[in-house]
Amino acid sequence: MNGKVMVVTSGKGGVGKTTAVANIGCALARRGKKVALVDADIGLRNLDIVLGLENRIVFDIIHAMEGRCRLRQALIKDKRVQTLYLLPAAQSKDKEAIQPEQMKQLTGELRDQFDYVILDCPAGIERGFKNAIVGADDAIIITTPEVSAVRDADRIVGLLEAEGIEKPKLVINRIRPDMVKRGDMLDIDDVLDILAIDLLGVVPDDESVITSTNKGEPAVLDGASRAGEAFRRIAARLEGEDVPFLSMEAPTFWGRIKRFLGAAR
Amino acid sequence: MVFDFVSWFLGRRDKPRSKDLAKERLKVVLTHDRVDISPQMFEKLRRDLAIACAKYVEIDEAAMSVRLDSQDRRLALIASVPVLGTKATAYSSKRRGKMG
Ligand SMILES: Nc1ncnc2c1ncn2[C@@H]1O[C@H](COP(=O)(O)OP(=O)(O)O)[C@@H](O)[C@H]1O
Ligand SMILES: [Mg+2]
Repeated sequence: MNGKVMVVTSGKGGVGKTTAVANIGCALARRGKKVALVDADIGLRNLDIVLGLENRIVFDIIHAMEGRCRLRQALIKDKRVQTLYLLPAAQSKDKEAIQPEQMKQLTGELRDQFDYVILDCPAGIERGFKNAIVGADDAIIITTPEVSAVRDADRIVGLLEAEGIEKPKLVINRIRPDMVKRGDMLDIDDVLDILAIDLLGVVPDDESVITSTNKGEPAVLDGASRAGEAFRRIAARLEGEDVPFLSMEAPTFWGRIKRFLGAAR
Repeated sequence: MVFDFVSWFLGRRDKPRSKDLAKERLKVVLTHDRVDISPQMFEKLRRDLAIACAKYVEIDEAAMSVRLDSQDRRLALIASVPVLGTKATAYSSKRRGKMG
């Protein structure tokens, strides 16, 4: 197998990288792809709990890198989605514990066994970021429609380019249609106009992300979740399908009723 | 207050939308982030540009404007330098002045 290694990054923290990795990975696996999710946020392990796999960790990424276990022993197999695997971050070490060459070697090994290797990048532009991007072919940049997140995203585009990762793709997360409608939030076109990179997806701000995270079940597994639908479409686009972007119109009164009736049926 | 309500009700808005401010501010700050140039360096660039232009033509430095702009991640330095006269005309008009 010769899989694709993708890093999900943002610069700014808390914009939805881990959420995106869990959901996009889960959606790709549900499409039958073999997917490895790598938590590269060393010292701040998170992807395991978002995926509901926190109780199954025995070995972590550092154990695997240092040869203290086999790579396959450190990979946790998801029970809901057969072809989904997680390589958890180490919790007791810090970002300095990894060398870029080790990361390159690891992603190289994973690439041979999986269709997709998706790395959850730490916030910031320091060592942890550099380690997470070193073995990646492509990058997905997550931003929210806020000035600080967009500014950081722009910086990341420049840094990725400098490392030879051209043409990163953008996901705009946590869009609030009501605020966009009033002119109190940057809309999709504004963000694209400013960043001038290709759009991969748009995800609404959606309570179901929080409830699904509470349960440890990515929103893509919930057929009624709007954010889940947005992430499913992102997975389809990564697979080369030409699907329309999820509508970010503020739901009208009648639209809401229709949706309610639709969900009830 | 009542007026605010009426204009809101009629859908008129005179207040700038906060997203327009966000976009404007972002555009400026990102353009400068991308070239990685400090305001001091930028001022030096503006001065040097003025001096260079003044070697060939007579310019109105106070009215000159220099700014960075970006489109599709490509940067441009956009300068508008009002020319008061060419050196030749400036020279000859001065001479004429002297002669007259
Ligand atoms: N589309 C969304 N709607 C609502 N909440 C979201 C959405 N995306 C992310 N969140 C929430 O935002 C917080 C930060 O997300 P996370 O994925 O941990 O960000 P990061 O990994 O970039 O730090 C989490 O509490 C998450 O549940
Ligand atoms: Mg995270």
